[in-house]
Amino acid sequence: MRILVVEDEPTLAGQLADALTDAGYAVDRADNGLDAHFLGDTESFDAVVLDLGLPQMDGLTVLGKWRSAGRTMPVLILTARDDWHQKVAGIDAGADDYLTKPFHMAELLARLRALIRRAGGHASALLSCGPLCLDTRSGQLTDDGRPVQLTSHEYRLLAYFMHHPGKVISRTELTEHLYAQDFDRDSNTIEVFVGRLRKKLPEGMIETVRGLGYRLVAQ
Amino acid sequence: MNASPARHRSLRLRLLAGSLVWILAAVAITGVLLADLFGQHVRERVDTELHGHLDQLTALFEVAPDGTASLRMPLSDPRLSRPYAGLYWQVDRAGDAPVIGLLRSRSLWDTALAVPADALADGEVHVHETEGPDAHPVRLMERMVRPAEQPEATYRLIVALDIRQIHEPVEEFATLLAVALGVLALGLGAAAVLQVGIGLAPLRHMREALGAVRDGRTRRLEGDYPQEVQPLVEELNTLLAHDEAMVERARTQAGNLAHAVKTPLTILANAARNDDSALARLVDEQVGDARRQVDYHLARARAAAAVQQPGLKTPLRPVIDALVRVMTRLHAARALHIATAGVPDTLACRGDAQDLQEMLGNLLDNACKWAAREVSVRAGRRDGHLAVHIDDDGPGLSEAQRSAVLARGVRADEHTPGSGLGLAIAHDLARAYGGDLCLSASPLGGLRATLLLPAA
Repeated sequence: MRILVVEDEPTLAGQLADALTDAGYAVDRADNGLDAHFLGDTESFDAVVLDLGLPQMDGLTVLGKWRSAGRTMPVLILTARDDWHQKVAGIDAGADDYLTKPFHMAELLARLRALIRRAGGHASALLSCGPLCLDTRSGQLTDDGRPVQLTSHEYRLLAYFMHHPGKVISRTELTEHLYAQDFDRDSNTIEVFVGRLRKKLPEGMIETVRGLGYRLVAQ
Repeated sequence: MNASPARHRSLRLRLLAGSLVWILAAVAITGVLLADLFGQHVRERVDTELHGHLDQLTALFEVAPDGTASLRMPLSDPRLSRPYAGLYWQVDRAGDAPVIGLLRSRSLWDTALAVPADALADGEVHVHETEGPDAHPVRLMERMVRPAEQPEATYRLIVALDIRQIHEPVEEFATLLAVALGVLALGLGAAAVLQVGIGLAPLRHMREALGAVRDGRTRRLEGDYPQEVQPLVEELNTLLAHDEAMVERARTQAGNLAHAVKTPLTILANAARNDDSALARLVDEQVGDARRQVDYHLARARAAAAVQQPGLKTPLRPVIDALVRVMTRLHAARALHIATAGVPDTLACRGDAQDLQEMLGNLLDNACKWAAREVSVRAGRRDGHLAVHIDDDGPGLSEAQRSAVLARGVRADEHTPGSGLGLAIAHDLARAYGGDLCLSASPLGGLRATLLLPAA
């Protein structure tokens, strides 16, 4: 899962990036409105954490531009301005959630998880597909009730599959959503991780769709 | 702006009283002068007539050599031969053997005119008012005549006219004059009322425009005013604009302050949470406290600015709809049902949209935080106030908690997300607006927050 963090205060941006990386997300950062708009417009993100008071272009304008260009990724507004008037403006500009500073990092993570889940059409924090069950809160995977140990890379890959069960996912899409922009994007790495993940899952759950990519099926 | 207290300070009454005093004085003086002039004129005419009769009498009067006085022929006026007809003549002999009523007109019948004794030079004419026949006062004119035939004898020739014949036309004229002047006075009075009304109309328009500003129908005094009033209107508009700018500036600064303080607080809190030392715990605790203080004082500053702005009217429905959109997003994980069917489209409150959003936002957010599934918003009018009920089906609050939660900075439950100040802030804002916030038990099972605000 790839997250864009837009925050102009460098210390806070660093704290956010660290916390999100620790939680298993790939994180891209922008510290002004123009960069934020460009990144969100050209790259694929599973969620955006957006500050409103940004240099060069304010957060609401950035959000409005994304929405009018048809970008639908969930956006969580993070701001110090907590008047309801601002919240209404934020939600009406197309935000999906609103968190005011100072906030608890745990709450931010919980809200982001919920946003990503709802964007994939899942109502519960537990994602299931066939015998597999992934708890997005604890990062715990079970296969028919038996716990399965995953590395952080494997978890990210599986979580993306579990959020989009039955959908054909290309290597490019996987790369875009699993790695930050500055990461070395070698599609062979994806193949290596898919191979490792297949060994930990029941036979045949991750299908290769020739020329298109991969698909998670419930057998 | 009620007209009832201190009527004597009414500009209209002052102007009207001035005009009316002037009109009445002018009309009264005119009436008296005209009546007097007419009376004089009538008296002069009567005197001329009497003089004519007296001349005729003098001409016809003769004394025979034997001393018998007689008229050569009767006087021409037919009234003289009708008893008590009002016109009389009489000849007295003066001198050593005076005879009153030596010769008399037939109209005197068997009475005689009593003339005050006065000395008259020959040919001199005197006018008296005295009692005549039938006890009616008469105006009489007399002249002494010394006939050539009898130079030792003097005769007093008298003609008299019943004074009623003078007074009648004067009274008739006075009546007519009174009616005419009365009509004139009424006309002038009506014109004065009209003039004052037209003259003061711009002030009335201004009062209506101010009323519209106060009721929130407009933000500025609108319309063209006469040059005497226009500067006042412009001053008022400048004042209103100044108020608005002040509030806007205060809000911007409050927002900037919030931003400036809260971002460092966030960084501190996050840094502290990654650590488990006593210092980190202290920082975490103090950051929470600082946040509550900032929130509370910003809200207070907003409440203080809120009431200073006249001319604002905010429809309730759009504010609630916008907030419900926000709540649906912010509490999306809980699939709450927020019912707003009980909010009529027509209701509006007197005040600023942002303040209304602030109050209702805090109340709705609180209801959504605690509700199990249902939140309901209903609104209505209650004696000039707007009453908004926000109900939830959550655990509710005990009586003691309800009063504590409205007091400054007290949290009903430390585990609630958010600063826990929402209800207290809404309470303060409502009070600043001359409204109130009441907490009670909801029919849905949880808390009912009732917000009372001045209706527009």
